Amino acid sequence: MVNTNKIILRSILIVFYLLIISILIFLTSSLFSYFNTGADRSTMLHTDVKKLDQYVPKISWKDDGNEGRFMDPQTLSSIENDYLDAWYVKHIANKTNLETGIDDFYTKSARKTLFNFIAHHKEANISIESTTLAHNPDILFFSEDGQLVVLEDKNVVEYKKVIKDHKPVIETTEASDYKGVFLLEDGFWRLRHLVKEQTSEFDKTIRPSLINPSNIKGINYYPQATPWDMFGENFDLKIIKKDFKIIKKAGLNTIRIFVPYEDFGKAKVIESKLDKLEQVLDAADKRRLKVVVTLFDFYGNYEVLDWTLNHRHAEIIVSKFKDHKAILAWDVKNEPNLDFESRGKERVVSWLEHLIILIKSIDKNHAVTIGWSNIKSAEILKNSLDFVSFHYYEDVHEFENEYDNLKKAIPNKPIVLGEFGVSSYSGGWNSFGSSEKIQATYYQEMQKILTKKNLSFISWTLYDFDAIPKEVVGVLPWRVNPQKEFGFINTNGVKKPAFKFISN
Amino acid sequence: MNLQNKLFFLIYLFGMHFMTAQQMLTLVTQEKQFVAGTTILLEFKTSHTKNYQLYCTNSYGSTLLNSEINNGTVVFKIPTYIGDKAGVVGWKIIGSKESISGKFNITPKSNPTSLESYIGPPSIEAGGYDFTMLVVIPTDDLDNPLKNHTKVRIKDQFLSSEKETTIFTNNLIAYKTIFSPLKSGRMILSAESLALNSKEYDVNIMPAIGTNFKIFSKRNHAYADGNQITTFSTSIIKDKNNNVVSDGTFVSFFITNKKGNVLKTFGTTINGIANAKMIHPDHQELWEIKAYIAGISESNRLEVSYKKVIETFDVHFSDTNRGLKVGPLKSFMNQMIPDGLRVRLSIYREGAHVNDIFNTTKDGFVNFDLDPNIYEKDNYNLEVSTAGITKAFKNIKLW
Repeated sequence: MVNTNKIILRSILIVFYLLIISILIFLTSSLFSYFNTGADRSTMLHTDVKKLDQYVPKISWKDDGNEGRFMDPQTLSSIENDYLDAWYVKHIANKTNLETGIDDFYTKSARKTLFNFIAHHKEANISIESTTLAHNPDILFFSEDGQLVVLEDKNVVEYKKVIKDHKPVIETTEASDYKGVFLLEDGFWRLRHLVKEQTSEFDKTIRPSLINPSNIKGINYYPQATPWDMFGENFDLKIIKKDFKIIKKAGLNTIRIFVPYEDFGKAKVIESKLDKLEQVLDAADKRRLKVVVTLFDFYGNYEVLDWTLNHRHAEIIVSKFKDHKAILAWDVKNEPNLDFESRGKERVVSWLEHLIILIKSIDKNHAVTIGWSNIKSAEILKNSLDFVSFHYYEDVHEFENEYDNLKKAIPNKPIVLGEFGVSSYSGGWNSFGSSEKIQATYYQEMQKILTKKNLSFISWTLYDFDAIPKEVVGVLPWRVNPQKEFGFINTNGVKKPAFKFISN
Repeated sequence: MNLQNKLFFLIYLFGMHFMTAQQMLTLVTQEKQFVAGTTILLEFKTSHTKNYQLYCTNSYGSTLLNSEINNGTVVFKIPTYIGDKAGVVGWKIIGSKESISGKFNITPKSNPTSLESYIGPPSIEAGGYDFTMLVVIPTDDLDNPLKNHTKVRIKDQFLSSEKETTIFTNNLIAYKTIFSPLKSGRMILSAESLALNSKEYDVNIMPAIGTNFKIFSKRNHAYADGNQITTFSTSIIKDKNNNVVSDGTFVSFFITNKKGNVLKTFGTTINGIANAKMIHPDHQELWEIKAYIAGISESNRLEVSYKKVIETFDVHFSDTNRGLKVGPLKSFMNQMIPDGLRVRLSIYREGAHVNDIFNTTKDGFVNFDLDPNIYEKDNYNLEVSTAGITKAFKNIKLW
């Protein structure tokens, strides 16, 4: 008994000791961290300015020397940074009516004018969402002491959307020429004078592509094991090559693939991702398959100040592959009309329109389209696209009729059915019931109509999937589970009855 | 298309035009050029009394303006923060069916109220190669740079010359490069545009880099007493245009002695002359001296010799040979050598070097004590050397 008591007493003492020690350690460590938080002395020197890409309009310097001192690359790059930042803080001020950052990039006299605008806009409840998409600056003069620069910027493409009382009033894209004087003041190139010398409406004319596809028999493709993550860690070219063989053998000639925006590195597209995409395109070309590349998957911001980042993303990919033999068309964005409600239709449409202009300016050969999620949206921007594509997951019996109506509305543009299909899921979450047989019948009927109308098609999809990322259809089981079984081939690699009707 | 169809089409067109003309806004304001600061009104003729909004964009920003209706015209008053700034102003009517847009130009006022001037670099090298630049931005009272091809006169004064040149603004600024004159000094500059004068600016014209020069030495006497100081000085160092180099020009003197060792001393110029000092050697010596402005110019080679002052000296042993008294050491006039002459005692035992002991003279004598705890009883060879003279004592028995 005594022995047990002793042990109890001892353990209580030990526990108590541990408790006190841990409290002491906790107190001293919080005291220590208290005295070590706050401004880090090294930050006073601004030595590690982390540059985040927030605003990267296309900038093409005219490199023809200047009247004054020789312009060295380092100075030029700091002028470029500060010049773009001057625009950026102006865009922010336009949007928020706050004066933040203006002091850093405009001299005392120049900022007064901006403050006048801000004051008026605050009073009248105006805000402007603006960005610039292209700059063509040229240094006209650089003073001998390196403190003053005269800069000309021709054809600045400015997009502006004026909002009054929370309602969009006008949207405009202008191309203007500016001349400005900049002074080097405490390490910043600040704008001293700015004069707009010329302005006109930005020419939005879009020329049709030289190659316009016809007779597309295609399929939307993700590898079975990595749906919606084709270029991730588990990228396996062998599997993809094998799948391309199956696709080609099935009588198809096209695939549609998706480039996830963030996964690809946004404005700074990651080189290794481009490599993977190139391997896929090469593999497709080897099998004589054409590829429709969808550029902005998993993107839903459309914020005007995000545009320049989006443009660099598209620019890098399109300019890299514009001469690739496998490319058939660029699909700007998958089902952007789904974002109309949350982001506003106008914003999404102008985002699309400017991206089309950009892609067209880089690649004059290949067609550009948008994968609208329904037939109703298919008429939007029809004149800017080389072919119209829409997705159809509705009733098969109404398809022919709906298509005829669309064709009537768009008589002179090719139309492609960009996605269609039906799930063979027959589990408890599907009240109407479906089966592989019904799926096969669906495709049989669809193919009949497609053949009859001579309509190009890209079906959804080759494989059944084991898991669907929640970004695709959310987490609700009655949505996720059917989504898993849209394939022509099941998870075991066995062809479902519908495979017979994969092509016509 | 047959005639009937054509006729119908014409009538249709006319009708359409008539119908739309009813509601159309037509711009009354004909001017396309305004001077900054004037009241700018955009007037539109209209048949109804509906207010419109105007989107308006200038050099610095964009905004929305509301209209006023005045006698059957829709009037937009351009606010001062837009009307005061030079550049193209684009506008667009909002709320009308057809797109009505246009632009007008705001020109700066014709007379400047300030001459924004920037000069730099503020100091340049004489000789006509280096230059400074004066940038002038004539601006009006609303802070707009004046129009292209505005005349600016640049005046400069240097010594007896006063010059004036005319330049014109281009790309918002006017600038002039001003090359340095041959002489050093201070140049005064100012600018003038349309009767408005700037303040005074000055630029230092610094002498260019020095050319080769001569060096001299000056000393009290030529004896190597280890005590006096020899001063080296340069001739007046000048640049190639005969300007005395800037004060503070650094001159290094390299002294090479007979053994080939190098001593260094330095000086900076005042009025073109640099002085540097070096203490005399304590033994007969021949110095070769050459001075340099590093990387820029050099002097002639100067030779300076120092005469022996001590011919010989005595050494007295005492205290069982453990006490040595060296001296008297006498200088050139037989005076006791000034305190501080270094004397070395080298100790050898059985042919091997044991130690060197150094001491300096005081009142012409040096004493050495050989500690019995360190130097045991034995026979030693001792050498005493100073001022380049060595005296050897063999087999001195310490006990």
